[in-house]
Amino acid sequence: MELLYRRSLGPVVGAFLTGLRDQHVLASRTGAGRVICPPLEYDPESGDAVSDLVEVASSGAVTGWTWVSEPLRKHPFDHPFAWVLVQLDGADTSMLHALDASDMAAVSTGMRVQIRWAEERTGHITDIACFEPEALA
Amino acid sequence: MRDVAIVSFAQSGSLVDIAASETQMLLPVINAAVERSGIARADIGFTCSGSADYLAGTPFAFVANLEAVGAWPPISESHVDMDGAWALYEAWVRLQHGDVDVALAFSSGISSRSDLREVLCLQNDPYYLMPLWADHISLAALQARALIDAGLATEGDFAEVVARSRRSASTNPFAQLSGDVTVESLLAEPYTAAPLRAADCPPITDGAAAVILVAGDLAREVCERPAWIRGIDHRSEAHYPGLRDLTRAGSARLAGEQAGVGTAPVEVAELSACFSHEELLLSTALGLGDDTEVNPSGGSLASNPMMVSGLIRIGEAFRQINENGRHRTLGHAASGPCLQQNLVCVLEGDS
Amino acid sequence: MTDPAKTEDEGGPIRFMPQLISLDYTVRTNPVAEAFGAALADGRITGHQCPNCHLVYAPPKGFCPICTIETTAEHEVPVADTGMVTSWTVLTPIQYTGQRERHDYALASILLEGADGTVGQQRLLEIPLDEIRLGLKVAAVWAPPNQREADDRGYGLGTAVDGWRPTGEPDAPAADYREHTL
Repeated sequence: MELLYRRSLGPVVGAFLTGLRDQHVLASRTGAGRVICPPLEYDPESGDAVSDLVEVASSGAVTGWTWVSEPLRKHPFDHPFAWVLVQLDGADTSMLHALDASDMAAVSTGMRVQIRWAEERTGHITDIACFEPEALA
Repeated sequence: MRDVAIVSFAQSGSLVDIAASETQMLLPVINAAVERSGIARADIGFTCSGSADYLAGTPFAFVANLEAVGAWPPISESHVDMDGAWALYEAWVRLQHGDVDVALAFSSGISSRSDLREVLCLQNDPYYLMPLWADHISLAALQARALIDAGLATEGDFAEVVARSRRSASTNPFAQLSGDVTVESLLAEPYTAAPLRAADCPPITDGAAAVILVAGDLAREVCERPAWIRGIDHRSEAHYPGLRDLTRAGSARLAGEQAGVGTAPVEVAELSACFSHEELLLSTALGLGDDTEVNPSGGSLASNPMMVSGLIRIGEAFRQINENGRHRTLGHAASGPCLQQNLVCVLEGDS
Repeated sequence: MTDPAKTEDEGGPIRFMPQLISLDYTVRTNPVAEAFGAALADGRITGHQCPNCHLVYAPPKGFCPICTIETTAEHEVPVADTGMVTSWTVLTPIQYTGQRERHDYALASILLEGADGTVGQQRLLEIPLDEIRLGLKVAAVWAPPNQREADDRGYGLGTAVDGWRPTGEPDAPAADYREHTL
């Protein structure tokens, strides 16, 4: 079964995905000053609307991870990889994405990683191809 | 508030890769719940069901399921695309209106016809998570990792939960996985999504369950030991895992507080902990101590019919009062990735 | 139709994103539908008769939804491959991608002789569209035996019947179909 939808994005998610296309990472800043990345249209603590967008770095630290030794067919990689939560420098929350690492031993909480950009970017979360260890850069 | 009690519960047991239709699976379960209640079907004033058509891939299966309730005469009914525990919650709210006294809550799920790790991606937000196909087991593993990183649990703790669940399930004829396994043998198994192994994750189960709720004195008339709903509440927190402190089940704590879990000792807690580490998170969030027996049925690690597992937890908590003479128990249900949404139902028997 | 893959105005802000949802399912045919399908392949239509209210369901459900009791092979009864039109509609096929119909055609609900409920979405054959009417007596035009595929879920007659042709008998009186027009 297959269905193709066209989703409207709104000013915050749209700006974030437009930023990814142009290799910038935008975050939302709440009234209390918390920087949320990927951004939300609201403050998850108070529910207040948020429209203040700021740019954060394209590298950061792993705050959580899991190693997938046998990827599912729809996973971003067909070889073993990690899902990671990454707190990009300048952000207060973490982004979930895939990490391309050689093996499980190469992944740890706190490790430095950076975005590997997709070659073709269309304004989609997969414009971030994955994260990769910062040392490889 | 009107006093509302559970007076009967029925479940299909763990069905594996069934060929029957969802309606065929439901019919004997609903019949059993109605018969055990001692209440005529015609006296049921409200019916609420929980199911998800995405599981078996049958559009409008939730409508066809109503044939298992009785297609004629017409009934007052509702449906939630959630675990049947939320159908029970809606039925409880409906009984609070005061104009009907009996309600039926039921749910069903056939998980064996699709890949749950793909289907459950559809419950994720469509912008940031769903396009990555970050599956529920991987997301659960992130939460398990958070507990380890924070020094709150070890993989050995996870394995102990699994071993106890399997052992407890040995006396539950409705369980799918049971028996004696050692922590050492569990830890020797390969990871599915490190730090979680296959045994830390729930089995694929098909199944159905049904509960009859009755308000007021009628409950005592039809049932020798009704289980009164003394508190019921459900709470949700931020969806995106990167926003949350994954070392806590914050919405479970809130739901537990609102349901009054801590106001008196809980003898038995049936927790919808689909992953081993979730039992540790939930026990902490609900403030359960050593004097509370957790998941004597084996819990969701021993049998996990999607959309049904939470209703079964409440049904098992009911059985502890109705059949085993316990006084105060609780049933818990969860929904969403990493215990995003939680429902807590506190039950008490008559003293 | 809007192109779902279109996400932006050239070079400008991204306002939309495509979302492709694709899922694979295993279809299991339940035993009641399987037995029904086997009979269809054999050129027979069968139903289950409720032992309590005696209503006959064709296709069989494996239960009576009114009495909420299970029915099994022992409640199987033969149902005729003739009946009457109780409702119909004429469809004008929109030529979307994948559409196989080219001309207006009629689908009808048919009350089979020996059954108490109608079979829906049945193609009417060999009759001008403006001559279709309630109570029209029809008979099955069976597909060749090797082309009778049952519906996986036992909802209808699958491809076992190509359609239904008028028998030429007098129309049934309104009293015979009034309860079945929806």
